[in-house]
Amino acid sequence: MTIDKKKSKIINKRVADVFTYIGLVIYALVILVPFYIILVTSFKTNSEAVTIPFTWFPQTFNFKGYHTVLFDDASGGAIGVSTVLLGFGNTLLTVLPTTLIGLLTSALAAYAFAKLRFPGKNIMFGILLASMMIPGIVTLMPSYLIYDTLYLTNTFFPIMVPGLFGGAACIFFLRQYFSAIPDDLIEAAKVDGVSYIGIFFKIIVPLSVAALIAQGILWFLNGYNDYLGPYLYLWDADKYTLQIALMFSVGLYDTDWSAVMAGCVIALLPMLILYLFAQRYFIEGIATTGLKI
Amino acid sequence: MRQKRQIKFSRKGSKHEARVGFALGTVPMIGFALFSLLPIILAIIMSFMKIKGFNFNNATWVGFDNYIKLFQDPKFGKSIKITFLEALALPFSIIISLLIATLLNRKVKGTKAFRTIYFIPFVCSVVAVSTMWKWLFEEQFGILNQIREAFGQAPIGWLSDSKYAPWSMAIINLWSGPALGIILYSAALGNVPKSYYEAASIDGASKVSQFFEITLPAVSPTTFYLLVTGTISFLQDFTRYQVILGNNAGPNNSGLTMVFYVWQMVFKYNTTMGMGIASAFSIIIGLIIGIITALYYSTSRFWVSYDY
Repeated sequence: MTIDKKKSKIINKRVADVFTYIGLVIYALVILVPFYIILVTSFKTNSEAVTIPFTWFPQTFNFKGYHTVLFDDASGGAIGVSTVLLGFGNTLLTVLPTTLIGLLTSALAAYAFAKLRFPGKNIMFGILLASMMIPGIVTLMPSYLIYDTLYLTNTFFPIMVPGLFGGAACIFFLRQYFSAIPDDLIEAAKVDGVSYIGIFFKIIVPLSVAALIAQGILWFLNGYNDYLGPYLYLWDADKYTLQIALMFSVGLYDTDWSAVMAGCVIALLPMLILYLFAQRYFIEGIATTGLKI
Repeated sequence: MRQKRQIKFSRKGSKHEARVGFALGTVPMIGFALFSLLPIILAIIMSFMKIKGFNFNNATWVGFDNYIKLFQDPKFGKSIKITFLEALALPFSIIISLLIATLLNRKVKGTKAFRTIYFIPFVCSVVAVSTMWKWLFEEQFGILNQIREAFGQAPIGWLSDSKYAPWSMAIINLWSGPALGIILYSAALGNVPKSYYEAASIDGASKVSQFFEITLPAVSPTTFYLLVTGTISFLQDFTRYQVILGNNAGPNNSGLTMVFYVWQMVFKYNTTMGMGIASAFSIIIGLIIGIITALYYSTSRFWVSYDY
């Protein structure tokens, strides 16, 4: 009787496992097949790309699409270099400094909110939390007018400078993380005569490297994929970021699907590679960000 | 003597501490004042003005004109309707997330690899993903219509027919939406103590009732988070509609979301509408989002539990 029960339990688990796998595999295919389709299309000749029926494997591997996207000056010779490559450079140029400096100011503010006593602390933190709820569309047009009045449109200023002051969500997350660091450590350092800034760099930062990397990656991801800001503020082809350059090429190559798909692959690949190598930080950064709102 | 000196030291320290803390905390406050508060105040002022072009040179005060005009504009109501219909993808996306996370939580072999795959849409740029779907939906050569034809069905205009375009956009939302939820739910499910389930099965509770009695309440903070952040972003969705359907928002404006219409007012109809009326609309969008978020919060005590 008990053996039978055990047996049936094991069989039940097996059956459940099989159904679990079926579910997981189907969903994995739903995610992956579209990527496979853009990948094979990018390697096809344009005439094969528009062949019916769809070929699941390119008859001849063709790199013309990649060549077009990587080496063409889509602006018609105005900038003299590949729009997409320059776009990639512009993205790194605008996103990396903002990420690093913004992360530093966010972390310093989070440290102050978590570990230092100062007047107005709770009010300031409350304002910061509330600011996370402000819909971006409300501030979009006035910001545009301000920048335009200051002659700052068509420069990197609007997409770089706001982030330098720190991000509310990042501060919120890091504050939670820093709060878990024991006060004893900080008191001991104080007795040793370490300054408050010194405590941040010598105690807080070494104990939170993983959290800082996770937040930095998240910030970089958002900057890398940002579309609306660069689209609004950057008009000259030599200032386009990668996403804008991609959008521009898509419009230009239009029905040359192998080139369009090659552009997609090129735009996706750097982030996908970073994701595969730093997956832990991506998932950690997401899974622990402000669940209690 | 010694005692006295120590008190002196700590008092001096705390004054210094206050100064350092205040300085560090002020930096994001300056950012908030310059890049959030100032624009919000300006947006309210602008919503009462008629603004031609992209500066205040030809701006005139028109009072509530912009708001009145909005409510008389049939496209205003239409864009709100479209946005809310598209936002219906959110609950489905949350349900898919929880379902997949539940499967992942069974910890069969390969779980990590599956989780890696499921999160991919989250790291992909909207432009690239939208372009990808534009190709899949392509009327003549796209894979979806080819599959339809393989089953002997007539191709449909996924993006060119106003009957189907909103559904196609919803499909894209459902494809990329669950990635975040899967990761968050996986983390939340992993934190539910096993003993709860063991106790429940000793009491003879079925798997289904365990799911509703233990799992759902335990992950309710995650559900709440996804609902709030998802609503805020869904109600402001614009990029993918513009990338896929073009500046005209698709056939018969079928993809004209609220923010898309705001964008059109500024850039497409600048001479007739412009930034003033667009600001009025953005204020209304802000109010809609604020009211819905407040509703979520006020009902949260009935169904969100932080006790787990």
